[in-house]
Amino acid sequence: MIVKKSLHSLTGKLILTIGTLMIVGSTIFWYFLFRHQERELIKNSVKYGYSFVDYVKKSTRYGMLTFQELLIQQTIEAIGSAEGVVRVRIFDSRGKIAYSSDKNDIGRVIDKNSPICTSCHSATEHPKDTPSWNISKEKDSRVLNLVQPIYNELACYTSTCHAHPKEQKVLGLVEANLSLALLDKSIKQQGIAITIYVLAFLFVISVVLCTILWNLVSTPVSLLAKGMERVAGGDLDYHLSINTKDEMGDLAAAFNAMTADLKKAKNELVEWGHTLEKKVQEKTEAIHRAQAQLIHSEKLASLGRMAAGVAHEINSPLTGIVTFGHLLQKKFAPGTQEREDIDVIIDQANRCSNIIKGLLGFARASAAEKAATNINDVLNSSLNIVRNKADFFNIKLVTDFDGTLPRVKSDPSQLQQVFLNMIMNAADAIEGKGTVTITTRTAKDNGNDFVEIEFHDTGPGISDENLEKIFEPFFTTKPVGKGTGLGLAVSHGIIQEHGGKTFVKTKLGEGTSFFIRLPVYKETI
Amino acid sequence: MSKGKILVIDDEDIVRTSCSRALAPEGFEVKMAQNGFDGLKMIEEEKFDIILTDLKMPDMDGIEVLRRIKEEWPEVEVIIITGYQTVDTAVKSIKLGAFDYIEKPFTPDALIAAVTKALEHRNKNR
Repeated sequence: MIVKKSLHSLTGKLILTIGTLMIVGSTIFWYFLFRHQERELIKNSVKYGYSFVDYVKKSTRYGMLTFQELLIQQTIEAIGSAEGVVRVRIFDSRGKIAYSSDKNDIGRVIDKNSPICTSCHSATEHPKDTPSWNISKEKDSRVLNLVQPIYNELACYTSTCHAHPKEQKVLGLVEANLSLALLDKSIKQQGIAITIYVLAFLFVISVVLCTILWNLVSTPVSLLAKGMERVAGGDLDYHLSINTKDEMGDLAAAFNAMTADLKKAKNELVEWGHTLEKKVQEKTEAIHRAQAQLIHSEKLASLGRMAAGVAHEINSPLTGIVTFGHLLQKKFAPGTQEREDIDVIIDQANRCSNIIKGLLGFARASAAEKAATNINDVLNSSLNIVRNKADFFNIKLVTDFDGTLPRVKSDPSQLQQVFLNMIMNAADAIEGKGTVTITTRTAKDNGNDFVEIEFHDTGPGISDENLEKIFEPFFTTKPVGKGTGLGLAVSHGIIQEHGGKTFVKTKLGEGTSFFIRLPVYKETI
Repeated sequence: MSKGKILVIDDEDIVRTSCSRALAPEGFEVKMAQNGFDGLKMIEEEKFDIILTDLKMPDMDGIEVLRRIKEEWPEVEVIIITGYQTVDTAVKSIKLGAFDYIEKPFTPDALIAAVTKALEHRNKNR
């Protein structure tokens, strides 16, 4: 299993391929080198062989010329007994063995087709007169067979024995059979040595290759695979620490970048989820607020309608009370009890009348004549009205007007009513002592341009409990008889009717700011 | 000889009585009608110097009464009595020729002043 797995691994495949290639390559290389060496050795052997044959010829020359057959035979026998010499023979021109290191051979005639003869004589060709050699196998070692012709020469045919005629070209031949056992042994030893070297070389190469591949490929790949597993398992913080400057390093860097991107994307997704949730919540709240606002407006509107009806109905009887009160008043001299009583009736009727006027202001829904108005001017005229009032003697009125304020489309008298109400409220809040700051500026709301007016007082602030109710009609914190509780409700209605909005920012103990925003009038030039 | 003849048109009895009781001691001759139709009929029958008419009445409102009076008797001065004054009704009534408007609840002095002013205006234009 492990072997199979390791064979299928990248390293296994690479080693198998490279190993096979190296074995095949080195085998071919070593084979040819070996063959070449063997050939060289044989060539040298042949060269020495001929020297040997030459030596035989020269040793027997004297015997030949003086025709001392015994001497020749003895010489041949002596030479033939040397180590490495299998056999030495001399043939005459007819193929008869004249002398031999093996005495039994003498006198035997060699067939013309035997290898000794065919080396020079072939069926088709003219006999060669050059030396020849071949290698034959005898018993368990190879034998180098050398044949050299003995040519006729002056000394031969002029010799006293005149055994050979002058015309004869070849007188016989010398054959030497030399053992190649030593050579073969050496070649065999060399082959074994070379094989061992090759195997050792292959082993070393394999080990080195294995180590290199292991370090360069297997380890990083398995690390990468482990990293992939971890990332797939959701661990996006996993960081691969392969810092090599090769493809593996690049791969690891790419992997780390991918993991980081994945993590970022995942975080973004989670973030989006949260944002979405938050947005849904915000929208829900906004809808709730809008709904509450709608209910509030509807409440105010129906209250307004009711107030208008009530006001209309009550005004007529009040007229009666006031008129008859005045008529009665004239009948009693000032200072009398009756006169004082009637004065109370008239005062209280007037108070009712004021309440109704407030109610009617609140109920007033119709659009007045509107014109482009400079808010700063309206504020200034409102301030001029209050400035001389005794209530404002100890109040510091600070103004911070934006001189470049765009104009708004409005009914200035209604706005003045609103502004007066705001200033009065501020003055009431600080109980006649302190600073009221009025600021005008431009503001952006939902992409639309507004003129913003801020009435800031240094009063005690408004409690959360009261803050919810301040725009409701008849809500007042002033003592009974002092405020109708309609001022802010009426102001709110007027501002709403002008397409604007009213809101409050307050901090207990630090003061309150009432804000009015009116849409900027887009004057056509 | 009275200072002037005045007709009060109002659906509310207390308003008519109030006007009458406030103006009569000052030497005005005051007559009353409880709706626009009766009032117009009375104007047809006899001559009035000043008409005081309520703005909000059933069947025919003060604006309509004013329009008809100004069509037929443009020399008669009309003062509108209004339960609640709004700018547009005021503007509308002045445009239609009303001399003045007076808000309920009014004091006898305010009523007398308005009527006296209207009468002076009428006498001047006569």
